[in-house]
Amino acid sequence: MRSVKSLATAAEAGRHQREWFADLRRRVAAGEPFALLNADVPHEIFRTMDIPYAVSQWWASLVAAKQRSGHYLELVRQRGYPDYSEQYNSVTLGSAFDPEPEAGPWGGLPRPDIVVGDASGDVTRKVFDIWGHEPGVTFYPLESAAENEVPANWWELMPHRWEQAVGPARLDLLTAELENLVRFLETTTGRRFSESRFREVMALVNEQEEWNRKTRALIARTRPAPLSVVDSIPSVMLPQWHRGTEWARDIAKRFYEEVRDRVDAGQAACPGERARLMWIGRGLWYDMGFYQRFQDEYGAVFVWSMYLAIAADGYVRYGDDPMRALAARFAAFTDQLYTPPWSSEWYVKEARLHGIDGVVHLVSDDPRGSYFTARALEAAGFPVIEIHADNVDARTFDDEVVKRVGQWLENVVLA
Amino acid sequence: MSTALAALEEAYARRGAPPASSKGPTVNRTPVVGYVGADMPVELLTAAGIRALRLTGDPDSGSQLGDRYLGRGVDPMARSVLTRLLAGSFGDLDRIVVSHDCEASLRLFYALRELRRVEPGTGLPEVYLVDILHLPHRTTARYNRRRIGEFAARLEAWTGRPLDLAGAVAAHNERRRLLAAAAELRRAVPARLTGRQFLAVANAALSVDEHIALLERLLAEAGRLEEHAGRRVFLSGSDHDTAHVYEAVESEGYVIVGEDHSFGGPSPEGPVGAGGLDALAEHYHYSGPTAHRATVSERAAHAARAVRHCRAELFFAYSRTGDEAPAWDFPAQRAALDIPALLLERQDYGRADLTALRKEHPCAV
Repeated sequence: MRSVKSLATAAEAGRHQREWFADLRRRVAAGEPFALLNADVPHEIFRTMDIPYAVSQWWASLVAAKQRSGHYLELVRQRGYPDYSEQYNSVTLGSAFDPEPEAGPWGGLPRPDIVVGDASGDVTRKVFDIWGHEPGVTFYPLESAAENEVPANWWELMPHRWEQAVGPARLDLLTAELENLVRFLETTTGRRFSESRFREVMALVNEQEEWNRKTRALIARTRPAPLSVVDSIPSVMLPQWHRGTEWARDIAKRFYEEVRDRVDAGQAACPGERARLMWIGRGLWYDMGFYQRFQDEYGAVFVWSMYLAIAADGYVRYGDDPMRALAARFAAFTDQLYTPPWSSEWYVKEARLHGIDGVVHLVSDDPRGSYFTARALEAAGFPVIEIHADNVDARTFDDEVVKRVGQWLENVVLA
Repeated sequence: MSTALAALEEAYARRGAPPASSKGPTVNRTPVVGYVGADMPVELLTAAGIRALRLTGDPDSGSQLGDRYLGRGVDPMARSVLTRLLAGSFGDLDRIVVSHDCEASLRLFYALRELRRVEPGTGLPEVYLVDILHLPHRTTARYNRRRIGEFAARLEAWTGRPLDLAGAVAAHNERRRLLAAAAELRRAVPARLTGRQFLAVANAALSVDEHIALLERLLAEAGRLEEHAGRRVFLSGSDHDTAHVYEAVESEGYVIVGEDHSFGGPSPEGPVGAGGLDALAEHYHYSGPTAHRATVSERAAHAARAVRHCRAELFFAYSRTGDEAPAWDFPAQRAALDIPALLLERQDYGRADLTALRKEHPCAV
């Protein structure tokens, strides 16, 4: 079942993405440097230096949406690497091994000159390091540091008091790494880093995410929901990969205005809304139609995904020192989503804000775990169902999941 | 048989059990700290006068609570450690200290921290993370120095007395030197220690001083050690906190003459320098190269060196389900070696499916 989008901004974001990628391919073919970046590293530096880049996880999501993840994982396997590990990054690695790269989605991912990833987990660094062994590719790793004691209310602290939320040790480390990254890029690409341009980029990002905060608040308080995650995910995430541009700031504003107009006009994703659902986990890119499967029969609408919510709470950083503020955006980014107490307390806050009736939690076979998230939500009165699958590897998805979620809606959420 | 080896094996059998000193009122006994992970600067624990106990799992005793709290995507070794902690298997620990040597250890730390917060009835002691990182850069070195300093200060706050770092470093360096000499016994042809025996020699549950004394006796008795003529295997990959896999492999007639996981020894190789906390931070920064923190190139180069050093005839990479990093290393390791290499991937904790080993590399002994 294909998903059906209804927002003009979602369509515009999709159109822009195709045009941007075609232009990126032209620029790279003309000899410009090209960087492949992990989602959780500071793209803003590349934006400031006008170095073309693409995001590894975005490419994996596109491959999955085209039902091609199996092909790229097979290429990974043929090189002797595991095809069951860190698929979100290894699907993209598979494109480096493709004997016919131009047969990939949208003409194929160009070969990068630079790959940047953080050393999180045990495997991410290895995946990017293997990229770095391809001819002409340099891998620039960033550390992934951890903290002993953290205040739970990170979403209140982050905009202005990020020093308190993240802690100085991690901020000092990543700030220094980013200063070094700038010099590395200046040296290897010949591009210059302008401090005033950097401040502009940082300001544009904050403006963009502030619009996302307003959109999030609007959706949270509106019954029935004006849109589902099928529209909100592309409307927020495609611009997210362009943050720091005027286009991304402006489409975030148009996204807000379109949602506001829908609210004013009383338009709803599901006029017969009976249950507001929260989707915890990465997007199910190979089956976005999943999110609309429960609307007609159960009146159950996925009103929440992390993508708009993390855009609203996870990116805004103000401060006089832009490099340290940028470090504060990423030094603990994944903790916001996956490390208790930050993650668990935040999901509860968001569930309350959105008036959630039930939570569907996608649990992948990786170390991030699910217990403390489910525990916190259930303790706060939100029913949770866990489904086990990888979000880009369709081989791991069991078709029984739809039936199981339907039964859960009937017997628990709507009972 | 060497009496020292028998004593070390006996002490190994006691590992993971509560030390005698962990019972009774805290004021009357040496503080006991359970620690997790290969990156632990154990010199600091010794310098604080603490009895340190590396926490280990047990593949035979189930891991239901660990599975619940950590999820089944985490290395089952860590899930077993958590299960045993919650069952009180390690006695009355005063603190738990966790190193960030791999994702499973970090996730274990987060679970312990959160369990203390939301389920205080579990009775877990205070938990502390020592976050040593490994990118080969000065930025990381400065971070590590800061974290080592913070840990030293925390230990002084816990015990209320200054650290004797110089004495502790000297003792651990001596233990490292003796372990390196013991490791040469298995590298001899034929080997004078099996892999299973060396695991016991390296991980005997003893204080540093007791361990040094027994290692000295073992080396003095080296002439009385049996010879082991099986096909020589180098074991790479996942950590082995128990002897299960060693016993399975060696029961087929192979002898494990070297390994690259953190329960082998000595790791990190080489002594800690005389620079106090600075030297300690540098030492642990460049520890390894372990599967979880080193690049595939570093692992491959290390494998080639280690295999030559051990005179291994077969390279055997082992990757546990939930511990996938070793499987990523294997293609480069195989390419770097001039001996047969075999990967066992997605193995259950404490188990080794040796069908492929038997078929492709049967042991003639």
